[in-house]
Amino acid sequence: MYRTFLLFGLSFLLTTQHLSSQEIEGPDTLITLNEFEIIDIHYKKIPYQVNKLEKRGIDEIAVQDVGDFLRSVPNVSGIRKGGNSIDPVVRGLKYSQLNVQLNNGQKIEGGCPNRMDPATAHIDIDDLLEIEIIKGPYALRYGPNFGGVINMKTIKPSYAPEFEVNVSALMGYESNWNGMKEHISVTGGNKNIYFHLSGNYKNYGNYKDGRGETVKSSYKRYNYTAQLGVSPVRNHSFIFSYDRSYGRDVLYPALPMDERTDDTHLLSLDYAGKISNTINSLRAKFYHSDVNHLMDNKYRPFSDTVVAISDIHAINYGYRAEAGINTGKCQLFFGTDFENIYKNGDRTKYFILQPTLPVKNEMLWEDAHIQNFGFFAEHDKSFKSLDLVTAIRLDLNMASSGDMIWKNMGGEAVFQNSDVDSKYTNFSISTGGTYHFSKKLSLSLAIGRGVRSPDMTERYIILLPIGYDKYDYLGNPKLKPEANNEIDLTLKYYSDKAGRLQANIFYSYITDYISGVHIPESEIKPQTKGVLGVKEFQNIGNVWLTGFELTYAIPSEHKLGIVASVSYTMGINPSATKYIIENNEVVGQVEVKNDPLPEIPPMEGSISALYRFCKGKFVPRISVRMVNPQNKISESFYEEKTPGFVLADFSFVYNLNKYLSIDGGVKNMFNKAYYEHLNRRIIGSTENLYEQGRVWYISLRFKV
Amino acid sequence: MKILLIMIAGFLVLISCERVNDKTVKYLITNSISEYNVNYLSDQGELIKEVITANSAQDQWTYSYIGNEGDIVFVSTIYKDINSAIKVQILIDGKVYKEGSSTHDTIKYVTVSGTIPYE
Repeated sequence: MYRTFLLFGLSFLLTTQHLSSQEIEGPDTLITLNEFEIIDIHYKKIPYQVNKLEKRGIDEIAVQDVGDFLRSVPNVSGIRKGGNSIDPVVRGLKYSQLNVQLNNGQKIEGGCPNRMDPATAHIDIDDLLEIEIIKGPYALRYGPNFGGVINMKTIKPSYAPEFEVNVSALMGYESNWNGMKEHISVTGGNKNIYFHLSGNYKNYGNYKDGRGETVKSSYKRYNYTAQLGVSPVRNHSFIFSYDRSYGRDVLYPALPMDERTDDTHLLSLDYAGKISNTINSLRAKFYHSDVNHLMDNKYRPFSDTVVAISDIHAINYGYRAEAGINTGKCQLFFGTDFENIYKNGDRTKYFILQPTLPVKNEMLWEDAHIQNFGFFAEHDKSFKSLDLVTAIRLDLNMASSGDMIWKNMGGEAVFQNSDVDSKYTNFSISTGGTYHFSKKLSLSLAIGRGVRSPDMTERYIILLPIGYDKYDYLGNPKLKPEANNEIDLTLKYYSDKAGRLQANIFYSYITDYISGVHIPESEIKPQTKGVLGVKEFQNIGNVWLTGFELTYAIPSEHKLGIVASVSYTMGINPSATKYIIENNEVVGQVEVKNDPLPEIPPMEGSISALYRFCKGKFVPRISVRMVNPQNKISESFYEEKTPGFVLADFSFVYNLNKYLSIDGGVKNMFNKAYYEHLNRRIIGSTENLYEQGRVWYISLRFKV
Repeated sequence: MKILLIMIAGFLVLISCERVNDKTVKYLITNSISEYNVNYLSDQGELIKEVITANSAQDQWTYSYIGNEGDIVFVSTIYKDINSAIKVQILIDGKVYKEGSSTHDTIKYVTVSGTIPYE
């Protein structure tokens, strides 16, 4: 606490010192913040759902994690396993069913087999300018797209006519878990050379839930980034980016291990150019992502017997190149991309109660590689009242690995699979149109088929409990690709006076759905204490999901701002297998007809109202989120029902002048004890992982 | 410009303040009146095996080093003299972290182990 007050005091002194030497600006130069919008009218021609989260939204609420922030979008939820690094779920689809990327194409492969560090966990939210969420398998220019694209766009350097330097900084504090965050950003340059430097530091303790119970959720993360842009000739620019990030002692009470260290390098080179009005867009990106991830169980009671340490190294590198041709009435994009994923890692177990301290080494991934070559094209054409978009994509996917081997303490292989290579050719296609009945009203229809190849975990994981249920999971190199056949119907209405209304329904039919299938113990024995058996990833057949999103927003020009939304997703497995468990063993199985898919969030609605006082100088906001109970639960996964809840938040933004603003508020105002349906349980118990109780927060922002 | 430099310097100071919590680890064996075998984990993480001869119960065998939070600490002993006894302690920063003992038991090892706790 002392450090916190010291930092705020220092900040205040710095600010007041600066202001005393400046002329106080009049009201006509005040910065006005608009309300946080989740739907962008620039996307009105696109026939599928695109949500855009902008920096001002990040700035206005106490949020430290990209996954947490994404949960503010209708039909986007997340799987919480600790204090941060929430793994996003879009319309019930998750993990590699989503294409999560950085700055239009850079991929990041997390280290942890239990996804304690999804791609979103490697990016500091305060470095982001916006996040784009493209729902459905329609956008095929950004890599293989099965269920949606989450594109995190960071702040980029930009040229200026004359040399200038701008600095912004943030210091924020959150009660409850004594969280402190700091951010500084320096941007500058001229029309030929420009740069951006930034750094972030976050240090959060354990939070208390609404019952007053302490949740072991503390973490520390920090990073710095450096970007240099060059425009050697007009209409051609290059940006070199480097990001170095660190995670330290990040606790995950719902996982068997905690993150001890994470050291990540993200490197990229971007080119953007324009040759003529016809060839009006040339883009290329080369990237390299390197994640070194160390985890252990030293905070867990089990470490009194066996200390387990996992060390994973994951590397992604690749490129994306695209050209855009404008023929006047239509726009054509075409290009190619490539991604190489490499993963290698092991787990070392120290049996510390045995007199000779035996040590066992277990391979989690053995030099596993996945390569994906993609070729894509998108054609956009506009008629008088109709906009059409068609996209195609071809992916050549190859995977290889060292032998999948699991040895016992005597060094004898209890499992071995040498048939580990696979090669697939996947074809994806989407088309859709938006018919404009008037300038205010339009109707969009999109149809698409997105195909994804199995990911690293589904192919090569060797006997680890990584699922929602209590089984050791085994990868299957011979899995077939999974395909999502989806249709979206969207009605949009926009009026300067009445506001913006958007209604969407979707239906998704997934073929060759990948899930775990129990393998009898006579074939392979589980290797983790307390699990029920082994499940192997297999293509189990077809499943479907459906749902809707409804959003309304008052025009941003009004002093009063209101945004309301309702969203719902349900998923069904027409023929699921439920394993009968007696005395902690699988003793049989039955078929369950029309079993809901696991980890699907319940219906929820939210409403947020703000008012702009003094030309936007002071903007208070109140938000209410209502979440239904989730009673549609998977019988085959032994899922449990989750009660509903209502939350209320209050926040404000106070723009003191053009240099300084203060924002603050209270989250979970009534200290409600609740947990989301997707939150995992505390490991080794039946206890749910509760969300935070009441949190007061305040942030100071400077801009000079 | 002065303010800019102060802010950048302040930020760099903040992110560079990663604490390294050194801990003094001490293995202590007492109460033995004869020869015993000891296996222990050294400061280099190696398992060392030694044979120690004690002349009286007051004799002490110790091994100390500077460790870090999360490091494994491990001592395991056994004696062959049925009239003997043994007491094993691991101390971290002078305080007993874990201990174990046996009397007239030449069959079971006394193993004391764990990881240096995080603060």
